[in-house]
Amino acid sequence: MLPSGTFNSRPEQDIAIVRTKTQWAILIGGLIFMFTVVLYIPLAWQSWLIFVGIYTIAALGLHVMTGLCGQFSMGQAAFMAVGAYTTATLCGRYGLSPWITLPLSGLTAGVSGVVFAVPALRIRGFYLVMSTIAAQFIIIWYLQQASWLGGTYGTAVPQITVGGRPLDYVQYWWLTLALVVITIFFAKNIQRTNTGRTFVAVRDNDKAAQVMGVNLFRTKLLAFFIGCFFAGIAGWLWAHFLFYISPNQFAFKTSLWLLGMIIIGGMGSTTGAVLGVVVIRLMDKLVDELAPIVSNAVPGWSTQVAPALSLIVFAAVVIFFIMVEPRGLYHRLRRTILYYRLYPFSYQR
Amino acid sequence: MTIDIILDGLFTGGVYALAALGFVMVFKSSQILNLAYGQMIAICAYVLYWLLTSIGVPTWAGIPLLFVFGAVLGFVIERLAIRPLMGQSFLALLMMTLMVGFLIQGVIVLIWGVESFNLPFTPSGLLTIVDWQVSPATFWSFVVCLVVFLVLTLLFRYTMIGLGMRVVAADHTVAQAMGIRVKRIFSMSWVMSGFLAAVVGILVGMVWMVNRDLGDIVLGKGLPVLIVGGLDSIPGALVGGLIIGLVEPLGGYLAPAIRDIVPWLAMMLILLIRPYGLFGQKEVERI
Repeated sequence: MLPSGTFNSRPEQDIAIVRTKTQWAILIGGLIFMFTVVLYIPLAWQSWLIFVGIYTIAALGLHVMTGLCGQFSMGQAAFMAVGAYTTATLCGRYGLSPWITLPLSGLTAGVSGVVFAVPALRIRGFYLVMSTIAAQFIIIWYLQQASWLGGTYGTAVPQITVGGRPLDYVQYWWLTLALVVITIFFAKNIQRTNTGRTFVAVRDNDKAAQVMGVNLFRTKLLAFFIGCFFAGIAGWLWAHFLFYISPNQFAFKTSLWLLGMIIIGGMGSTTGAVLGVVVIRLMDKLVDELAPIVSNAVPGWSTQVAPALSLIVFAAVVIFFIMVEPRGLYHRLRRTILYYRLYPFSYQR
Repeated sequence: MTIDIILDGLFTGGVYALAALGFVMVFKSSQILNLAYGQMIAICAYVLYWLLTSIGVPTWAGIPLLFVFGAVLGFVIERLAIRPLMGQSFLALLMMTLMVGFLIQGVIVLIWGVESFNLPFTPSGLLTIVDWQVSPATFWSFVVCLVVFLVLTLLFRYTMIGLGMRVVAADHTVAQAMGIRVKRIFSMSWVMSGFLAAVVGILVGMVWMVNRDLGDIVLGKGLPVLIVGGLDSIPGALVGGLIIGLVEPLGGYLAPAIRDIVPWLAMMLILLIRPYGLFGQKEVERI
């Protein structure tokens, strides 16, 4: 619902991403804040922020795939790995510029996603989930076996240099943020296009969509390609940020975390995906703080507290959201905004 | 030598088949893919280890106790986590079972850490059948698997509970109209699946060691079996398990490196040729 006194009188207004002056103010203010905040925070939080950015891109890929098109993927981390290894190989071994490998990482990840999706897209639901789980295991297994990629020990990735100097954390965050903004814009924008509407139609009822003349196979493949493309971009950022990648970094668990992020945020909403990433990463930070306290209190558990707690807290949070707020944080946010827009007649909905 | 490998694969296939059976039981009645099942099996193995060594319960008492634990675990998960979500979307239920699995795994890691254990009654040495040598643990697993399948087949064919479960599997609404308590059947199928988890927990605890990756290993073997056999077919689980059990060591024999990935490759192949599995019903869809 729009704020009081704002009316959509033209189609362009109806589909505008940024509609009111307040939204413009929040957008510009928020962007300025995000660009400058990194200058004032300690190093640990800077790297936390960069990881939030990386996960956001991967989660947005999942959002296009799952939230918009309804195709579940439990192999997003593996497609991130494909992107990361692409840049590690092309950039590290063949000396290509990282700026050239950026789209290439996305492309290889997208193509590998399509390869695994093809057998499963003829049917729905469970089988696609299975196929993506298989993708996760097969890709990671291959990376562990392939000696030319460093096997289990992984491989080094060159740093990104601008003007001969490697990027520091602050500059890397600016790069990440730029990519995040582009990705968010893309994800927001796709919902307004014909393609995006086709995605939503397929999600809501694929048989009906097919009757309306939607090419199901092509649409699902396209959704998969876009989702995995984003994963590849996230992998590229990941690789160049850590300078070192190994197959273990892209575990099955990471894929599930990404899925949990978009569930917590709210399926099918771009803002929700971002919110979900931030909440889960904050939880992670909280567990890091909490683990030493618990392990001090219970000396017998010292070594295993951190991994166990992160599992338990994550599971508890996602279970809470599925039970109590299945439509996610974004829905709650919308309700809150609506409440204040209608105030003092909020009960009118 | 080759016969040994084939026999071993066949017997291990029995364990896989049992692992897949737990998924099938739940899926058939309530159309839920229980991804927590791997961790349910793992915690059963751990609890048995804990009962036998830390508490000192004798083996003959420990195993029935474990069966009770498994059944209660299945019941509790269904009642607390799954029933409130009845009628929710497929993804919500899938994520719920996954997260229950995470919780169980978290508890396992918290209590038992990263060490791995051997169940005290694990038989050692090799068993000789005619002239072929096999590991006794896998052999006994295979025997147990055949017995369980026999019992389940009889149960489904000749008892009222089995009949009720078959009706619910065919159509929820019709079952309800016929006076069958669908919720109770759901609950029952989870209890049976938990009981099976206890059985499989003992077997995999013997075949592999009791370690923190047990749940993931079982999940990694059980899911391909499930797809190969078909999501809702009990004979499919048996045949799928035996196929995967056989294909895995044969693949490993040809190229040792691909052994771990063979089940998944077989699964992708089946998805390409017969997308509903060898024995699955054509339309498996949430209503």
